[in-house]
Amino acid sequence: MPQVKIVARNFMDMVASLPAFKLDKLYENSFICEAILRSLPPLAKKYVLQMLYIEGPVSAKWLEEWVLPDGVSKHKVAVDRLIQLRILTETIERKKETTYLLNPTFQSNLQKHIVHGGVLPREPMASNITVRLPTLEDLDAYAVQQWEYFLLHLINSTEAEKSTNISSSMMRIFQRGLLNQKDDKEPAKLTESGFQFLLMDTNAQLWYIIREYITNCEEHGVDTADLISFLLELSFHVTGKAYNLNTLSDIQRNILKDLTDLGLVKLQQGRKESWFIPTKLATNLSISLADTSSRKQGFVVVETNFRMYAYSTSKLHCEILRLFSRIEYQLPNLIVCAITKESLSKALLNGIAADQIISFLQQNAHPRVAERTPSVPENVTDQIRLWESDLNRLEMTPAHFYDEFPSRDVFEATCDFAREYGGLLWENSKKMRLVVKAEIFPHMKEFLRKQKQ
Amino acid sequence: MGNGDKGRPSKKIKFSKEEYNRASVPEDNNESRFGEDMDEDRDGEGKKRDFTKLELKPDHANRPLWACADGRIFLETFSQLYKQAYDFLIAIAEPVCRPESMHEYNLTPHSLYAAVSVGLETETIISVLNKLSKTKLPQEMIDFIHGSTANYGKVKLVLKKNKYLVESPFPEARYDDPICSWVLNRLLHDEVIGRARKLSDGNHGSEGFMKGKSAAEIGGAHDELLNEAELAAVAEEKETHSFEIDPAQVENVKQRCLPNALNYPMLEEYDFRNDPVNPDLEVELKPHAQPRPYQEKSLSKMFGNGRARSGIIVLPCGAGKSLVGVSAACRIRKSCLCLATNAVSVDQWAFQFKLWSTIKEDQICRFTSDSKERFRGNAGVVVTTYNMIAFGGKRSEEAEKIIEEIRNREWGLLLMDEVHVVPAHMFRKVISLTKSHCKLGLTATLVREDDRITDLNFLIGPKLYEANWLDLVRGGFIANVQCAEVWCPMTKEFFAEYLKKENSKKKQALYVMNPNKFRACEFLIRFHEQQRGDKIIVFADNLFALTEYAMKLRKPMIYGATSHPERTKILEAFKTSKDVNTVFLSKVGDNSIDIPEANVIIQISSHAGSRRQEAQRLGRILRAKGKPQDRVAGGKEEYNAFFYSLVSTDTQEMYYSTKRQQFLIDQGYSFKVITSLPPSDSGSELSYHRLEDQLALLGKVLSAGDDAVGLEQLEEDADDIALQKARRSAGSMSAMSGANGMVYMEYSTGQKKLHGQMKSNKPKDPTKRHQLFKKRFG
Repeated sequence: MPQVKIVARNFMDMVASLPAFKLDKLYENSFICEAILRSLPPLAKKYVLQMLYIEGPVSAKWLEEWVLPDGVSKHKVAVDRLIQLRILTETIERKKETTYLLNPTFQSNLQKHIVHGGVLPREPMASNITVRLPTLEDLDAYAVQQWEYFLLHLINSTEAEKSTNISSSMMRIFQRGLLNQKDDKEPAKLTESGFQFLLMDTNAQLWYIIREYITNCEEHGVDTADLISFLLELSFHVTGKAYNLNTLSDIQRNILKDLTDLGLVKLQQGRKESWFIPTKLATNLSISLADTSSRKQGFVVVETNFRMYAYSTSKLHCEILRLFSRIEYQLPNLIVCAITKESLSKALLNGIAADQIISFLQQNAHPRVAERTPSVPENVTDQIRLWESDLNRLEMTPAHFYDEFPSRDVFEATCDFAREYGGLLWENSKKMRLVVKAEIFPHMKEFLRKQKQ
Repeated sequence: MGNGDKGRPSKKIKFSKEEYNRASVPEDNNESRFGEDMDEDRDGEGKKRDFTKLELKPDHANRPLWACADGRIFLETFSQLYKQAYDFLIAIAEPVCRPESMHEYNLTPHSLYAAVSVGLETETIISVLNKLSKTKLPQEMIDFIHGSTANYGKVKLVLKKNKYLVESPFPEARYDDPICSWVLNRLLHDEVIGRARKLSDGNHGSEGFMKGKSAAEIGGAHDELLNEAELAAVAEEKETHSFEIDPAQVENVKQRCLPNALNYPMLEEYDFRNDPVNPDLEVELKPHAQPRPYQEKSLSKMFGNGRARSGIIVLPCGAGKSLVGVSAACRIRKSCLCLATNAVSVDQWAFQFKLWSTIKEDQICRFTSDSKERFRGNAGVVVTTYNMIAFGGKRSEEAEKIIEEIRNREWGLLLMDEVHVVPAHMFRKVISLTKSHCKLGLTATLVREDDRITDLNFLIGPKLYEANWLDLVRGGFIANVQCAEVWCPMTKEFFAEYLKKENSKKKQALYVMNPNKFRACEFLIRFHEQQRGDKIIVFADNLFALTEYAMKLRKPMIYGATSHPERTKILEAFKTSKDVNTVFLSKVGDNSIDIPEANVIIQISSHAGSRRQEAQRLGRILRAKGKPQDRVAGGKEEYNAFFYSLVSTDTQEMYYSTKRQQFLIDQGYSFKVITSLPPSDSGSELSYHRLEDQLALLGKVLSAGDDAVGLEQLEEDADDIALQKARRSAGSMSAMSGANGMVYMEYSTGQKKLHGQMKSNKPKDPTKRHQLFKKRFG
């Protein structure tokens, strides 16, 4: 099983990790320049704007003078980030003087963007062509439903049931780390990362999927820079407006199809034309670049007696809760479950960490209990952690057992030998028995063979 | 009819008693099918119930509860209608768990019996439930309520002007129509009841019932809920029909009405205002005795229609059960027989009567093996123990006389304390020996590990009221207790012995005597005595451990063999002396010893998985302390009482501990787990720090006889009352339980000498030590 721990990194981290030439290529798109600017920490934003019209390198000393002494750490973070994104290039000159230079492509594109404004490659379609556009609420509901459907599919694919609605390219993404399928006949199983994934909040999940999607496309020969710039571009479209599919390249149209599965866009077909409507999830891509605080309202109440009441009608919530608790009652708008040692052990064995469960419970705490601290009763969180540590109490060491020594001398010599190699685990001198680590077995064999002679 | 054999009827009753016991088994099964028992529920995986098809009402957000087809009800405590909904649910359903935000209840045949008996009618129950429910009521539930309540509460047994009347109320009163009184007809067609009927002069023929009127419920909380015509109808006077039965046959008639026979369980009511035969007892509550809201409420359930109902009132320990009992006695104002579990609590009850009511010294008397008083005048209060009444052996002449008097008197009120501890057979005996018009049972924990709880329903009456612990905590009426489970790892040496087969009988002694546990206990005692100036009770079921701990730590202890005067003396010292801050108690301290000063409990050993014991022990420190404003959440002393349960990890104790806590957890308490006590940076000053000491202790445990450390698992009979007179049936078992401590008798010698010393000596003087230690160290 792959030992990847999912880090809920954001989109920009991923951009920053692109190789230099790809980054430079990205900056040819002025929308990306703006998106990047928006995503920067406040101080970094200020530096970029201040340096925007400065030609040539700026000395580090100069830069440092812009901040008060107590802002040094923030300064460092800002500069590091800018360098990471290759917006600044650092040069250390002979006199050990450090200078910074703004990325010329980035600089000129941003300058243009500020002066002329950005123009999207496509305009919203006229309302007389697209008569029956969904309302914003409908669109939100659609996006949520689609996303839940997608997650449910992830859970359900563990049950043999195969649904074909999710495209094969998306399935491949699942299989990249979330699912584990030994062969085609057996149903795929959720991996450790898959279980952890389900407990993340939607933004983190979205990032994860997008990142996997990009990496996956890269492996199939799609240029990541194109992909990223398209995704960023998409985030500048207006939620709920229709955009003509004709304006897209073939590759972009394929990408769009995949994004439909995730609920990022909705496709509609008119009489002659077809168009796509970005949902909040798509426009959130750019918002979430900087901001993770947009939280949904919580729904879970955990009581001191380990009972859990979830105000939800969602099948997905039910499935997620089932990961670590026992569902006892399902009511029209309430799910009643109990966290038991058995249910939690099951979750822990699936690779979900106690802290992930706890943070899931805390993040999704019902407004009723969210105000109180702690939102999840202390005895419950303590117990969950204790159950986890319970599982780690035993340590397994492969070992070999020896007995029936011909004489006490041989026994003692063997003990000494094993001790010397640091492999003696247990000895009983009365009965002349000992246990040694498996890793010193070859040495032991050799030693005992010599003893026999 | 026409059966001349006199022996027949009583044989028949005997048979039907057994039949009842047997018949109650399928009935219980029936109950668990519907009102699924929680324990079972928690064991079975995948028993989830899908009620998503229930139709939500459009304004569901304003309604407080969900009702499921299997009888489970969920109540939101933050709903605006919570208070009303709670009062209603507690009357009709059995609380399963009541933590902070969401309560769960079960609708059971018994709970509905209780509901009907306090005057709620089938249609009222259904319509109120429907109003409160977020969804349309499941048809199954409606059917169930109809089915269960069809027969309940239709027949009442009333003692009126000293005649026993079987009464049946019927609102659609066309009394000349025989159909409307068919319940009574049906009863009369029964052989036993038919014969028991006493025909009065004016009436002949089976249709000639007496007609009367009985006042309906006086203002209930449910009216507020539905100010509608249907309730107004309830408030009108009702026609009742009745016939008289032979007083000697009352028990037989009741027997015939039980669910296994005719299934018209009788409600017992006492029309004490119209009872000229029994003399009045001139007592009232003193002005300072102000019942709290929940005490009022419980009393209003009992006296709802101007008569006194028999039943059980459940209030947490420390919430003032005695005031409820005394108030009830003052309202009925007839002779009252008060039964307690032991001599100490007899004293306390007598004290409570004098504290709260205007009763005169010569109107109240105690009847125990030590004190045999008699009241003067023709009405009074007698406080005694269950054992004194039920005792079957030979009594002294004086006791025999008093017992005779108790038997012959007609009691207005039979007040029974701690009904949960008394086994059913003893109840039957007590109830059959004493004639009472009304029975009131009081308890804090209506749970037993055996199934005897349902017996109480028919022996005493239904549960009239049960308070919510957390609400009382929030109201500042009882202490806010911080509960903690302290995990004490077994030391290597003790654990090795624990695992050995040959030590199977010493397992308990080994995990109780675990040096780490001892050190945790010592640490906690020091901390609370020195840092907070608290008063501490240490509980140990295992007598060997109790003695070892108490001796090593030099603290006084009370166990089964400790005599009554000595107990009183130790408790008095604990209450008043600044130097006696810790007392060790065996199982005898579980119930009804009132120690209001204590605010810390450390439990070092306990009786297997008994939920009741855990709750009762917690109850010892529930009496509210300090100023109310400090106690509320966020106040200066949010927690001012502490309950520690010390468990040795990896032993049976862990399993039991989880089981024991269930009742309290269901009441909304939470147990914090403490894993390292004493803290790793301290502890060298505590006992058994050195390995040699630990090994010496181990040797002591191992060399002690199996009998002394006694160790089979206890049978489930520990629900038995801690008999004051030791029962020696189960040898080593009872020895460890503390109920019988013959082995240690030597320690209780020399108490007379101490009597004087205790009073005369200044607290600092070492001779004020418990004589047990004086012998050793003094």
